[in-house]
Amino acid sequence: MSRAGVAVILGFVVAACARETRPVVVGSKNFTESVLLGELVAQTLESAGCSTERRLNLGGTLVCDKAIESGAVDVYVEYSGTALTAILARPVSSDSKRVTAIVREAYAARGLAWGPALGFDNTFAMLVRKSDSQRLHLATIGDLRKVALEFRPGFGYEFTERPDGWTGLQRAYGFELAQRPVAMDLGLTYRALAAGEVDLIAGNSTDGLIESLGLVVLQDDRAYFPPYEAAIVTAGAIDAKCPGARAALDSLAGRIDDAAMRRLNFEVDGRKRDVGLVVEEFRRSVGTQTPKRR
Amino acid sequence: MNRAFALEIARLSGEHVVLVAVSVALAALIAIPLGIACTRREAIGRPALRIVDAIQTIPSLALFGFLIPLPFVGGIGAKTAIVALVLYALLPILRTTVTGIRGVDSVVREVGVAMGMTPRQLLVEVELPLAAPSILVGIRIATVTGIGLATIAALIGGGGLGTLIFRGVAMVDARLLLAGSLPAALLALIADFGISRVERRLSAPPSRDTRV
Repeated sequence: MSRAGVAVILGFVVAACARETRPVVVGSKNFTESVLLGELVAQTLESAGCSTERRLNLGGTLVCDKAIESGAVDVYVEYSGTALTAILARPVSSDSKRVTAIVREAYAARGLAWGPALGFDNTFAMLVRKSDSQRLHLATIGDLRKVALEFRPGFGYEFTERPDGWTGLQRAYGFELAQRPVAMDLGLTYRALAAGEVDLIAGNSTDGLIESLGLVVLQDDRAYFPPYEAAIVTAGAIDAKCPGARAALDSLAGRIDDAAMRRLNFEVDGRKRDVGLVVEEFRRSVGTQTPKRR
Repeated sequence: MNRAFALEIARLSGEHVVLVAVSVALAALIAIPLGIACTRREAIGRPALRIVDAIQTIPSLALFGFLIPLPFVGGIGAKTAIVALVLYALLPILRTTVTGIRGVDSVVREVGVAMGMTPRQLLVEVELPLAAPSILVGIRIATVTGIGLATIAALIGGGGLGTLIFRGVAMVDARLLLAGSLPAALLALIADFGISRVERRLSAPPSRDTRV
């Protein structure tokens, strides 16, 4: 066979590979919830007949953003508040509709689609023990003024230090706890609260530990915390790689509320179960699982 | 750098020194007698060394997770941090104590026995002085690594230079990171130098010279 013939065949092979099997690359950040959502997106795409490649556990927000911007990743789940402040460097806003509108427009300008919202808001949550909440009638953050003298707060470094953390919260609600917060590792604050070493911590509203440790989220009735609604971000290339991808992802809109997300997180963090299995089970339970067409 | 910040660095450095000094001292008080016991009875020696080895492999966050709910040693703050630091400092001191005592020449020991020394005298007047340089190496390692390790105290509100480092990480502020790490590095160098001086004195051949 002539060299030209070999070259032509090779060319065809390369082109065919490039067109047929280029998988949709699914990314996620490096924490349980993000990995779970990445897995959910990947399984949903696979049910729709897309071939996928998982790139879960990518560093943090900025790594994921750079990856999707450069085309190394085609889809991942981002939070509206994070996109607004960390990625777009816009001022914080607690109006969730406005935040989504700003983010959607700015993403469109970057060639990215701010897709369907999954239905939960992973925002900051001020947490107390259930026993305290009942005994002292604490339901909202404002109720903390009743215990301003005796409550001992303990927070992660970020919430302690940032002006839009504890300091801003107390100013917005117009109270001040007598004791300065103990700054410590964020994960350990949960244990410290459960052990009675501190009385108030700042966690995440979808954390699986909230239910398992018997904690209560104080309502943010003055909407101090910005919204962190989870939404699927997709790059334009996804349509070429798998035409059915967008429709499949749209079917996830509004499927996971705060409590459902907490449960999923707890299955993995608390029960140490496999992410893939937990997601499969969840999809079966909400009926988004369609038979695989490969 | 403003004055308040400099004062804060100084205060946290002070806390850091206290964390390390107290934890290494407590670890020495536990590990040296334990090391002696290890060389006397194999039934103590093997399990003790295994346990201390195992402790070393527990990640600090997990260890704090265990400690927080415990009464007396647990909770949050400097006390719990010191408990963890003591546990981590046991290994080098215990190992070098055992090695130091086992390394004493059996002839020397027999001479002691022949001179009519009691086991106690043998230990205090022969074995421990000869093992001292080795034990001091253990204390030196425990101190220098402890200075780095003590930054974990900030994970449970225990103070020290780790406070600046974790604040720096949370706020993505390189200035804070340096303000925490540079003094820690400096402390480690100072401690290393100081202990090496003591070490050199101890390992020098005992002088019989009475001239001053």
